[in-house]
Amino acid sequence: MTIHSSQSQPTETMIELIKVSKQYPPDVVALKDISVSIGTGEMFFVIGRSGAGKTTLLKLLCSMETPSNGLIEISGKSINQLKGHHLAKLRQKIGVAYQDFKLLTDRTTAENIAISMEVSYKKPQIIRKRVRDLLEQLDLSDKHDTVTGELSRGEQQRVTLARAIANSPTMILVDEPTGNLDAATTERVMALLHNCNKAGATIVIATHDDSIYRHTTHRVMELRKGQFHGMTKGNFS
Amino acid sequence: MSFWLTVLRQVGRNLRQTWGSQLMTLLTVSLSVLIFAFFYLIYTNMLNFGNKLGDDLSLIVYLEEEPGPELQQQLTKKITTFDEVEQIRFISRADAYERFARQLGQNQDVLNDMPKDFLPPSIEVVPLKNLRSLNQVKLFSTYLSRLPGTLKVQYGQDWVERFYYFTKLLSIIVLLSGILLILTTIFMVAYTIRLTIIGRQAELELLKLVGATNNYIRTPFLLEGLLQGVLGSFLGIFSLYILFQWIKLRFSGPSFLNLFEFSFFSPEVSITIIFVSILLCTLGSYSTMQKFLRI
Repeated sequence: MTIHSSQSQPTETMIELIKVSKQYPPDVVALKDISVSIGTGEMFFVIGRSGAGKTTLLKLLCSMETPSNGLIEISGKSINQLKGHHLAKLRQKIGVAYQDFKLLTDRTTAENIAISMEVSYKKPQIIRKRVRDLLEQLDLSDKHDTVTGELSRGEQQRVTLARAIANSPTMILVDEPTGNLDAATTERVMALLHNCNKAGATIVIATHDDSIYRHTTHRVMELRKGQFHGMTKGNFS
Repeated sequence: MSFWLTVLRQVGRNLRQTWGSQLMTLLTVSLSVLIFAFFYLIYTNMLNFGNKLGDDLSLIVYLEEEPGPELQQQLTKKITTFDEVEQIRFISRADAYERFARQLGQNQDVLNDMPKDFLPPSIEVVPLKNLRSLNQVKLFSTYLSRLPGTLKVQYGQDWVERFYYFTKLLSIIVLLSGILLILTTIFMVAYTIRLTIIGRQAELELLKLVGATNNYIRTPFLLEGLLQGVLGSFLGIFSLYILFQWIKLRFSGPSFLNLFEFSFFSPEVSITIIFVSILLCTLGSYSTMQKFLRI
């Protein structure tokens, strides 16, 4: 099933999924025939229960996994067979906040955030400034030199998000961004994501936390057992 | 920030994190270079020593009869057929007598009652001043003894043979220590890099996910291997130099060692040893990356 953008969606397509399926051995179907277009600068929600295929979808988008079937295009270019330098360049443009954080627990918060900028050879003074700004926005300024292994789950989640957006990527993929956060921090995190979106980044958020998409004006796609279940345009309730 | 600056920061960070194993590898590489260079130094000095001793070496072929000019030509041809030589001198009975009389000096009276042709004529063959000729001297002597009219052949048989076996033994030791150097540098560096890769698996995984290029991930490991080679070989050669100076100073008085004129490696040889060590360490690092760094 193909879902086309509605009238408010930007004209350029950032992400194009055409009949994408993912099957894990021996016969676990994680996604089946998903087709969707996400416009440049759009904020897009993927919802569904645990095991619905949200995380798999994000992994396919950042080329962490390859689809079993179907085509995935980012900015009009197929990413199915990307390798080496081209894959690295693509990943530099995609910021991903993983559900399992993927933090280096023996490194400080600042070092963890800086890593995504270091790979694109940003100047140290720019990295330092950006890290401080992000920590301030996420209320983590006092954790600058704290080893991430010593942070709480909520703090670790915010560090993951900071790392995902630090390099000012054109596409941000966020997996369960508010799972370990209280209401106030959830609001702060969402405000940061909205700011990135306003700055032009395409944002895909996978979540089962209805508080963050309940009153949204953005499109919300629901997955059930790896299959497309429905698409709602805003004010999901 | 430039690629190299970023990579160097990575190297520095990694060295800080794994300094224990890095230090052990550095010491092993240094020790291997030291052992190899030590034996190689002795070997090269022995070769020089052999060359110097070879300066005084000559084979004396005693003949039954004094050869005429035609036979002299034939004999010269026969000798040079076996090997090139430095010089061939034909000593007549009269020349031998005169030389002997000179050697006796004031005691030459003892020859008064002797006929002037009592000494046999001979050929003095001076071989080339290189070790190959020195090592071949036994074969050469056998060859010369088969020349027509030869009574016997004389040369410093004992020491030449001993020296030959000693240099042969040394060359085997140099070969073995060279193999030791190759094995330790390649395997130790490879093992350390492997440990580092295993220890940094999570970081490498993350680096790939945030868009680090293969060069960004691989170059620090290559540099680590290269650095081990540079530091290890410098340390090894420098330690040998210190040891060499100490031995020279310690045994500078009249002693057995004073017979030899020990000299250290030429800058070219030192640079070659350092360069080969660096190459081996980098090779060890590269082979491990190919095997364990799947990116």
